[in-house]
Amino acid sequence: MTESTLTSQALEAGGTGEVMITLEGVEKWFDDFQALRGIDLVVGRQETVVICGPSGSGKSTLIRCVNRLEEHDRGRIVVDGTELSDDVRDIQEIRRETGMVFQSFNLFPHLTIMENITLAPRHVRHKPKKDAEETAMKLLERVKIPEQAHKYPGQLSGGQQQRAAIARTLAMEPKVILFDEPTSALDPEMIKEVLDTMEELAESGMTMMCVTHEMGFARAVADRVVFMSDGGIVEVNDPESLFTDPQEERTQLFLSQIL
Amino acid sequence: MATDTTPTSATATKPPVQKVTPATWLRENLFSNWWNSLLTVLFVPLIAWALWSIGRFLFVTGRWEIIIVNLTNLMVGDFPREQFWRLWVAMAILAAVGGLLVGVTAAAAREAAVITGRELDTSWRETARRLGPPVSFLVVMMLFVRTATPLLLLVGVIAIGVAGFVLGRRVPHDRRALVNLAVVAGVAGSLVVISGFGGVSRDSWGGLLITAYFTIGSLLLAFPIGVLVALGRRSTLPVVRWTTTVYVEFFRGSPLIALLFVGWLVLPFMFPPEWENITRISRALIIFTLFTSAYVAEIVRGGLQSIPRGQWEAAKSLGLSPWKQTRLIILPQALRNVIPALVGQGISLYKDTTLVLIIGLNDLLRVAQNITQQPQFLGQGLIAETLVFVSFIYWILSYWMSRESQRLEARLGVGTR
Repeated sequence: MTESTLTSQALEAGGTGEVMITLEGVEKWFDDFQALRGIDLVVGRQETVVICGPSGSGKSTLIRCVNRLEEHDRGRIVVDGTELSDDVRDIQEIRRETGMVFQSFNLFPHLTIMENITLAPRHVRHKPKKDAEETAMKLLERVKIPEQAHKYPGQLSGGQQQRAAIARTLAMEPKVILFDEPTSALDPEMIKEVLDTMEELAESGMTMMCVTHEMGFARAVADRVVFMSDGGIVEVNDPESLFTDPQEERTQLFLSQIL
Repeated sequence: MATDTTPTSATATKPPVQKVTPATWLRENLFSNWWNSLLTVLFVPLIAWALWSIGRFLFVTGRWEIIIVNLTNLMVGDFPREQFWRLWVAMAILAAVGGLLVGVTAAAAREAAVITGRELDTSWRETARRLGPPVSFLVVMMLFVRTATPLLLLVGVIAIGVAGFVLGRRVPHDRRALVNLAVVAGVAGSLVVISGFGGVSRDSWGGLLITAYFTIGSLLLAFPIGVLVALGRRSTLPVVRWTTTVYVEFFRGSPLIALLFVGWLVLPFMFPPEWENITRISRALIIFTLFTSAYVAEIVRGGLQSIPRGQWEAAKSLGLSPWKQTRLIILPQALRNVIPALVGQGISLYKDTTLVLIIGLNDLLRVAQNITQQPQFLGQGLIAETLVFVSFIYWILSYWMSRESQRLEARLGVGTR
């Protein structure tokens, strides 16, 4: 696909019409195993893209390439005008502007929730402690756990930890947030509180790439859904069309298994 | 009535209290079957006899005159007596920063306890257990003192330590990191007081003084070196990784006693000729530091490996620089996980300092042997008394370190996982 068709895809789909993330011919190998094959995808500013597919299809690897937790072997990745290269400054620039929410939360267990949230603003953005703490308190209110501010992660439930992790990501005021199966490690009754927080984020205009198995969320919130299989993108469409009228056989098979 | 409002179910859920009479205790613990009864019958007299012999030696037959006469030798070796004021000043400085450190730690532990809703044990029993080892040490030393001056000075030093503790508890939260600096400055300052400004050359130090110097000095130096080497072994640069691996494998693979001997012979050639007066004590300190740092590096490396990959990834994805990822996220968690092993290494080093007798230094153990050769004690078989005395010093201080590390571990573990 050419860059122009990629871009027009994103423009049609939603967001503000500007491009936030461009992936062009991205390929990735783990030793001899090819994890990503020729990924072409454009994510528009303020767009929410959900990536789904069977396990092992490369969904997580794809979004982990965007902030260089994995290094892609071929192709280009551009985030908000900065191309991901081997230059550490570019990597740091992209990481500062890109938040990530993990399946296992990855809060820092030796720091309180408040310290978890203020750490990066203070040490990366060099904000004064007081400002950082005020912002953190507002974010904790936004994710509805202000009363947990001075506890340690181990004292919170899974759902609360994940919302704290989202607040930690938001504290850096990122332009994009990558979600790597954010609800997969949660008990069923806690999934909703995290999805509600994510939905609120999407509505507020955050650019989001979400790997998730929550098809209800994809349907309600996503501007586009990407279906991946065997390291390649099989189909990209708006959620309604993809779920009700999948074009590809592999998509049909996958949907018939999970819906 | 008040008693009527108490729900009966609440009292019913408490575990039943079993009354243990002395008779049932004896039966359950000492005579539960014929085999245990036999062991009890055999071992009770044996233990009683052992305690009786030890007690008789300590309080009746032991000739402790040799310790009373030589207490100063055991503490400081040949340290010039007219320069003792320097030691007392150094002790006062160390007591002040030590008290400060303990005070800050206590305050932090109390805060963590409040956050996590865990109760801190502030009972007098716990306090007595904590103060037990150092107080026993001081009391036993005092039993052999026959003049008032050291007693008064010691009381002064303890008072300064307590003042440091009280002050430490009042240090504001965001100034606590400064206390670490104060401790390093205090240790350095106390060394300057002893050796600087026309002070005492380290070659005339001896006894418990050099044992403490080697232990504290090597640990303080080996800890940062060990952490850096551990990080180096995980470096992505092959040169750094290989160099640090060779370093660790060399020092871990060589016997300490051989290293001390080689260091004593070789180190003078490795420094510029104008440094030729590098003292034997400094040479031993360098060897202890290099040796210990290799072990510290391996311990810390184990701690680094215990940190899940997700912690690195979260730190990276927040845009922290590699150095800050390590310093703020990984190291604090890794070091907490290896406190028991690090203290174990410290205790091991403390006892290994006795090996300096191979290069002719008068450490505590060597002084204990030498004083039996003094004319007035020669040929009287007093080695038992002197060895029991120094063994007590080694044991009580090791035991103290071990107990305190367990407390530190419990406290730092607060609120995690």
